Amino acid sequence: MDRYILRKEDVNRWVEALARTQEVLAPTRVEKEIFFAPTQMAVDLNLLSGTATLPYLPAKDLVLPHSENLFHFTRKGGDYELTVPEEKKTAVVLGIRSCDTSGIYWLDKFYQENFSDCYYWRRRNNLILVTMACNQPVKNCFCVCCEGGPFLDSERDEFDIQLVDLQDSYLVECKSSKGKALIEANPKLFAKADPSAVKTREALEEKSRNSFQPDPTSYMSTAIRRITSNAVTPETWTELGEKCFDCGGCAFVCPCCSCFGVGYLNEGEKGCHYRFWDSCDYSGFTREVSGHNPRGEKGERFKRRFFHKLSYQYLKRDGRIGCVGCGRCITACPGEVGMPTVVERLRK
Amino acid sequence: MIKNTPTICSFCSCGCGMFVRTQDGEARGVIPSTTHPVSQGRLCHRGWNRFQNLRSVNRLVKPLVREGEGMKETGWNEALKLSGEKIKDLIGRHGPESIGVIGSPWLSNEDNYLVSLLARQVIGTKNLDGSYRFGAAAALSALNQLFGEGIGAVGSIPALKESPAVLVVGRDAHRDFSPVGSRVVQAFQQGAQIILADASAAKADHFYKTLIPVPADRLPAALAAKRDIPLGVLDLLGKPGAGLVFVADQLGPSASALALINYLIERRASAKDLPNLLALSRSPNLRGAWDLGIRPPAGGLNLEEMLAPESKVKGLLVFAEDLSVHLPKAALLEKLKKLDFVLWAGRFKNDTAKLAHVVLPLPLFAESEGTLTSCEGRIQLSRPALSPRGESRGLSEVLPELAQALGKSLPGGPAAAIRKEIGKAVPGYEKITGPEVESEAGALLAPPRLASAPPKSAVLPVLESADKFLLLIPNTLYAWERNRMIAESPVLYIEYQAERPALKMNLQDAKDFKFRPGEKAKIRSERGELQVALQADEGVPRRTLVLSSHFLNLVESVAGKGEIDPVTRSVYFPSLLVTVEKA
Repeated sequence: MDRYILRKEDVNRWVEALARTQEVLAPTRVEKEIFFAPTQMAVDLNLLSGTATLPYLPAKDLVLPHSENLFHFTRKGGDYELTVPEEKKTAVVLGIRSCDTSGIYWLDKFYQENFSDCYYWRRRNNLILVTMACNQPVKNCFCVCCEGGPFLDSERDEFDIQLVDLQDSYLVECKSSKGKALIEANPKLFAKADPSAVKTREALEEKSRNSFQPDPTSYMSTAIRRITSNAVTPETWTELGEKCFDCGGCAFVCPCCSCFGVGYLNEGEKGCHYRFWDSCDYSGFTREVSGHNPRGEKGERFKRRFFHKLSYQYLKRDGRIGCVGCGRCITACPGEVGMPTVVERLRK
Repeated sequence: MIKNTPTICSFCSCGCGMFVRTQDGEARGVIPSTTHPVSQGRLCHRGWNRFQNLRSVNRLVKPLVREGEGMKETGWNEALKLSGEKIKDLIGRHGPESIGVIGSPWLSNEDNYLVSLLARQVIGTKNLDGSYRFGAAAALSALNQLFGEGIGAVGSIPALKESPAVLVVGRDAHRDFSPVGSRVVQAFQQGAQIILADASAAKADHFYKTLIPVPADRLPAALAAKRDIPLGVLDLLGKPGAGLVFVADQLGPSASALALINYLIERRASAKDLPNLLALSRSPNLRGAWDLGIRPPAGGLNLEEMLAPESKVKGLLVFAEDLSVHLPKAALLEKLKKLDFVLWAGRFKNDTAKLAHVVLPLPLFAESEGTLTSCEGRIQLSRPALSPRGESRGLSEVLPELAQALGKSLPGGPAAAIRKEIGKAVPGYEKITGPEVESEAGALLAPPRLASAPPKSAVLPVLESADKFLLLIPNTLYAWERNRMIAESPVLYIEYQAERPALKMNLQDAKDFKFRPGEKAKIRSERGELQVALQADEGVPRRTLVLSSHFLNLVESVAGKGEIDPVTRSVYFPSLLVTVEKA
């Protein structure tokens, strides 16, 4: 672990140096929404650091887009010619928040176990994650309950670089060789951090951890226990399910949700095979060809979703829950049954 | 690089703000706008998957003309020239009233305005109507009777969450329109009384305080009699901000819709307050099409009259909607097939295109600029995120050329220029020319003004019989699964399963009758009888049967010719009392 100091006035010089050899994606506003968009310089430091301002979509979109063409096919005589769309070169994701970095780490595990998904990995391997630790969480944040932030553990390998806002400068924590290469793009901008900067970092993390608003997510462990021991009644699931609109929004904006469907678009002699986000909220997600649906009722689907996120994944697979506490499901849910509301309901 | 274009969802009448995300000229995804007053960061499953139908491979990409039994591709000039000749020929032989023109809630305000000018000024026919004749025309006529022409901004989706009470007519109005359903849930959380009126629901979700098990057409009588309703609940419907939410596509007949809205208006505590009326639709520009004059002027024929067996209409110009799926009687479809000339301008290959003589390809909303008026009365700009597919062209280019082929002229040019014309010509639409339309929240029409003497209407009595079943024939002509935009989205196509032609019956009732799955039942009403396969359904209440109206032959067997709504002058199928026995 190497630690440096980068002065805020030097950020754009760094970005300029990086952008000469690779794409730099930074939070940018289109109308009033925030997207990760390519930038040459002039990064908006208010979006980059300070109060947690999350883009509507997690950076999951950069590794698993809403839809992507997997291959194109063209009939050539009795055979088909297949072409795979080219993937762009390396990109630095500057200012991705801790929760979203955790989400990508989570997806990394999913997309390499049993089967290594080449489409995921060719995007993922091209990304360098420069995470921004959150000094000030906002209303919907509950990452502190989900190991998703507000700061990432310096010793874990989720990020390439972690930036900590020290007011006039950033503390730059660099672990990976990919991260080191970014610093070497313009090493003069980086001074070695002294121990006082590390002390400040610890104080900031402590302050941030204590500034989450009182929130029902503190009942996360109770909810996990109750859901795992099958103590939640079917009536509770039905009640929660009745508020769900099956929109799929919670899955789409969730940094950890990894489900996709596939389809063909075929026009005459040519076409393409593509995949798109799918959601376990949808009744068609598990409906069988016969018409029978093992999860036909909304309450059943709701149960499956939260059992997977809060129990199955936690106990049987990864040792952590399928939620990073970004709070996006609160924003996206028309039925007001995002993760914190459900957790609070389940503990009763 | 992904491009994010701010625009409006075009799946239904709510008008959510969204970004369409494109790359390399292809739609790749969408996200909702968090700052738009309706969507506020949320979408329904249709909205979230809208990008899929933007990639449809079943689009019309070139003009087609009939050649024998099939169609052949042609150029725009040839297609428009041929259309002009056919129309001129019919006018020359039978007069302008031999032509009918059908506009659509799937066209922008600008396009509908031009379609109405084409009918009235270029062709000179009064036979002008919308594809919603058998659905939302009833509710819109009722709103017209109450608020006059230029209905105004009669509802507010964001304000619904502050309602003291909301009457939801049909659970689809809550479930299928999530921006509205979301506010209903929020109102419930703030202590509002939520009432569901639905005869086809065996039970209501937990946030409904009251379930009134009466079909919409009989609801005014049930409300007046305070049947099944706890004391005090109805009083809340008179409080300021009380809401009435219904699906306009299936509320008919008009007298019932009028009586229902009147019920709330008459109960209001203060004369200055009007209830929050949300007339929802499964099409995006219902209000706009209606307000822009897509309906028959005095002396003109409506869609049903144009397609009546004795009608003198010989040629029909149909815009943007697959008319063949919205006709409630088999005879109307037969007449459509026999017309001398059918011009169909639309986006997808479908059954109406198959029977047309000329087919013109139009761009999707996401491929062209135009304004839509939401169910609230919010005029919003739908911006193009993609180029028009193939050779498709917008009506603002095509109709002036068609007019020219007919020896007349029509205003054309960019959408903004047509909006200026609309602002001058259409009452209540002055704001369509202003900068507000281009803002994220759009421009709201003027507040509604109640007619000085709101009309009254007779109410249909509640049907009751101890020994008979209640047969409901919900209007499913405009159901989601019959919407082409759904069929062109793989995720949604799976979500909205096509219904089987069967009669739904309560599971316990089916057991009592000892019906086996799929076994046929014979049902008999005063108007006819029908043998049909049964489908047991836990969600259907006891002693109730449900038969979707789009199974035309089945419905006509048991319900005969239906009833004619005197206001819309079109057919509807009221609920009936029937006997049931094994076939």
